[in-house]
Amino acid sequence: MIVSEQLLHWSHFVVVCLFAVGLFGFLVRKNAVIALMSIELMLNSVNLIFVEISMRSGSSEGILMVVFVITVAAAEVAVGLGILLNLHRVKRTVELDAFKSLRG
Amino acid sequence: MFTIATAVGVISSKQPVYSAFNLILCFFGLSVLYLLWDATFIAMIQVLVYAGAILVLFVFVVMLLNLGKSASFYARSWPSLAGVGVTVYLFSLMLLRILNRSLAISPSGGQANDFKHVAHLLFNEYLWPFEVLSVFLLALVVAIVVLAKPTADGEVRP
Repeated sequence: MIVSEQLLHWSHFVVVCLFAVGLFGFLVRKNAVIALMSIELMLNSVNLIFVEISMRSGSSEGILMVVFVITVAAAEVAVGLGILLNLHRVKRTVELDAFKSLRG
Repeated sequence: MFTIATAVGVISSKQPVYSAFNLILCFFGLSVLYLLWDATFIAMIQVLVYAGAILVLFVFVVMLLNLGKSASFYARSWPSLAGVGVTVYLFSLMLLRILNRSLAISPSGGQANDFKHVAHLLFNEYLWPFEVLSVFLLALVVAIVVLAKPTADGEVRP
């Protein structure tokens, strides 16, 4: 496979930007659903760099790791949204500040 | 560019539904990026699992909870400031890292794309993580059922 130098630079830039946007959204936004979406963004940026490494080194292990990451991400979203539904049933809100009683 | 723009849209739109639809666009952009790397299998899985399954979950929950425009956009003030600081710090760190590195392109062996090889690896060398993952998914199903189950007297669990 022939990878142009430009694509390589752009790919790294996209990965870094996606991770930063996801981190920012996770730390700043108040809505718990959007916090979960931000986690998805971060996981996707990591997937992108796994694919890139795998394609550059010619080994399949990166692809395999991406498959594992996608599985765990799907599972995490399912559990997260289930917990969120139950919390919404109790608190009638999904804003993260309302869940102070979860503190130990 | 398109991917980044939609990702910014995810975290900046006030209505959670718009966030979800921006997230769909972002996932499609990511799958195009995977196609640019010749990873057709991953691009396919991306569209199927993320845009197909996860986004349906998100949209379903947003509709079910009837989330409107949130009154206050951000979290409390000091964690927001800390979040901005941490994000800027990490972003500059990673950007410096990718700008400083000399990009050595090794000629790929050409077998990374071969899905037969991926499957061979998955069921031989990585069989044990694969089995752990399957047990994990089983535990997940049980956990979801326990979470969603009403109690014996028909009351919804508080």
